[in-house]
Amino acid sequence: MTYHLLLFILVAAAAMAAVMARSLLLSAIMLALVSVGAALILFDFQAPWAAVFELSVCAGLITVLFVSAVSLFRHEEGKTADLRARFYAMPLVMGIAAIAAWFYAVPFFESLENWARFGSRANSLGSILWDIRRFDLLGQISILAAGVFVINSIFPRRKRQK
Amino acid sequence: MTNSFAMDWYFITLIFSAGLYCMLVSRNLLRQFIGLEIMSKSCLLGVISVGSLTGSLALAQALIITMIVIEVVVVAVGLSLLVKNYRLTDSIDIWSLNKLRG
Amino acid sequence: MTTSLLAYLLIPLFTAVVIPFAARTRHKLADILANVTLLAGLLNIGAVLFNPVNLANSFSNITEDGFALLMIFVIYLVALCVTFFSAYFMGEDPKVARVPYYSLILTSVSAMCGIVTTGDFFTLYIFIEVLAVTSFALIACDESAAGLEGAIKYFLLTFPASLLILFGIAFLMLTAGTFSFESIKIIIASGMPVGAVVFAVTLILLGFLIKSGVVPFHAWTPDAYQGSYAPVSAYLAGIVTKISGVYAVIKISMMLRLFEVKAYHTADLLMFLGMLSIAVGALSALRQKEFKRMLAFSSISQIGYIILAAGMGTPLAILGAIFHLVNHATFKTVLFLNSASLEKSAGTSDMDKLGGMEHAMPWTSWTSIVALLSTAGVPPLSGFWSKLIIIIALWDGGAKAYAVLALLFSAVTLAYFLVMQKKIFFGKPTEASHNAREVRPAMLVPVVAMCLIIAALGVFFPYIYSYLVETIAARIIL
Repeated sequence: MTYHLLLFILVAAAAMAAVMARSLLLSAIMLALVSVGAALILFDFQAPWAAVFELSVCAGLITVLFVSAVSLFRHEEGKTADLRARFYAMPLVMGIAAIAAWFYAVPFFESLENWARFGSRANSLGSILWDIRRFDLLGQISILAAGVFVINSIFPRRKRQK
Repeated sequence: MTNSFAMDWYFITLIFSAGLYCMLVSRNLLRQFIGLEIMSKSCLLGVISVGSLTGSLALAQALIITMIVIEVVVVAVGLSLLVKNYRLTDSIDIWSLNKLRG
Repeated sequence: MTTSLLAYLLIPLFTAVVIPFAARTRHKLADILANVTLLAGLLNIGAVLFNPVNLANSFSNITEDGFALLMIFVIYLVALCVTFFSAYFMGEDPKVARVPYYSLILTSVSAMCGIVTTGDFFTLYIFIEVLAVTSFALIACDESAAGLEGAIKYFLLTFPASLLILFGIAFLMLTAGTFSFESIKIIIASGMPVGAVVFAVTLILLGFLIKSGVVPFHAWTPDAYQGSYAPVSAYLAGIVTKISGVYAVIKISMMLRLFEVKAYHTADLLMFLGMLSIAVGALSALRQKEFKRMLAFSSISQIGYIILAAGMGTPLAILGAIFHLVNHATFKTVLFLNSASLEKSAGTSDMDKLGGMEHAMPWTSWTSIVALLSTAGVPPLSGFWSKLIIIIALWDGGAKAYAVLALLFSAVTLAYFLVMQKKIFFGKPTEASHNAREVRPAMLVPVVAMCLIIAALGVFFPYIYSYLVETIAARIIL
């Protein structure tokens, strides 16, 4: 149980570091750390397929996208100065939120546990993806096609103008 | 172990509020987007926690895989919108989005 | 999801994938393919709905879901009008990429048909994300700074709403174990305590309210409508914001009546937010100087009527909400397409600069006047009937104060629209109207067809009413 808790504390700490980091590149790398932590938590919950998907897609692909976007904005960072005071106040705000959540949220979720309705364990992941929720696959194909068309629309191929 | 569900959701609430704070406070568009991503990760952890409690782990995994696919496409689209905006207006400041007034 | 309606989803998606390959050399082929696909779909669903056999039996032998059929008809109608208009509006504009534009519209039509035919919350969520992704790109497709600003604001303000919906779905998995509408209704009706299911459904409802642009979450709506490319704002206002937000609110409110006392708070919240939207939308529209922004606030006001009726929850109120949704799709399409025509020929959409347009652009003026009168609720056009049903349902259901306020704001809207029409269309001709010429006849065809439909819906109201009662009220609402 303590390993479980430790992983959650790691993810929360990495999220706070991502928010408080001064440079955007450090924020993006901390976001990758959040994804790795989330993948480890998924492993610990006995969900190996979701964990490996999260690790390869989120910790890999999304981090590459973010880092390439950050590198495009590199020389603009100096011009828009965020108010650093608000970010340095973050540990204080998080501390208040943590204490408030301890007293209000934990009993709420404990009472929510009593409403739980236990489902069947019989289905395997394959039968759920392909048989029971077949239309979700159609939705996934649609969103991938939509993504391709969106990129094509935002960055069109210019023939003559340069 | 009996209290694991409530403790998990305690941390999920903390992570969600960290992302929300980042979104509300920052002036840079890309940093707001990172806040959105943190909130999205907390959502994934919420789904698997619920799935573990009710025993329907396979359904939760199917949901999470679909959510990850959607999240990747949304991140790609969002970043390309931000890059295009930067190319047109030379700024990634949220206060510069004020041309439409009324 | 009924497999008979699956074709309406698959064929636009197939055409969307084919268009980039087919139109690589000849770009005009993209226009033709898109229009032909949508026309074929519209004729197909029209044949199902308007079959004379169905009319004779007063629609009692339609076995599929009546609400889904009506929604698919409206989706194809609005999409066909916008696609036909934009084929001529785009011309040789070098800034708009023609081929991805049509692919995006066809993909969003497919996603919307998926939304209205599904019976499951998670599939609903997936198709709503597809619709949102295509909308971001469509708003920004003419590469103007205003378009990108509208798209970014839409993106940043509706993505947290999707996260709220996901949290609601997670709690639904915890407390009900299933996502489909039918199973949840069975769970509610079986009499077990369901407090936590109400909580989960309320979270999902809140997410959809943010996506539909009700007050106080309406900050993105005027910017998105004003900044986007002109035919796209007709598409957005006509169908996209309705299907992505208001449709799910109506579907959920059909369930709320079955709950015990706790759900009445949710229904009251819905009614309050609806009334607030009517008030804020109507009053803000009075202060606007720019035509598209004024239309955006008027949209917020009309969506408030739909949410108010959905919150009421009685069968008559839900019928009124559905009919008002269909009507509003027709009015706003006409108004936004006409504002695109005005902008193209007069060069401006500032209301102070336009005057006396009736001489310069007669067809555009008269169709706009028909649509504005219908929005304000003047008989015998269709807007009058839907507002009448909503107000009667509110009065009968016991919310008398809400009924009086709704009537009052309807009068305010009517007064303002009459003043505005007089100024823009019948007033003194200004410099902009001297230079304006009427647009090409091909661009007027969709607008005139929509106006005929508005008039037909108003005149043939008894048939519409029997359709709604037979297929929706008798079967879906208990």
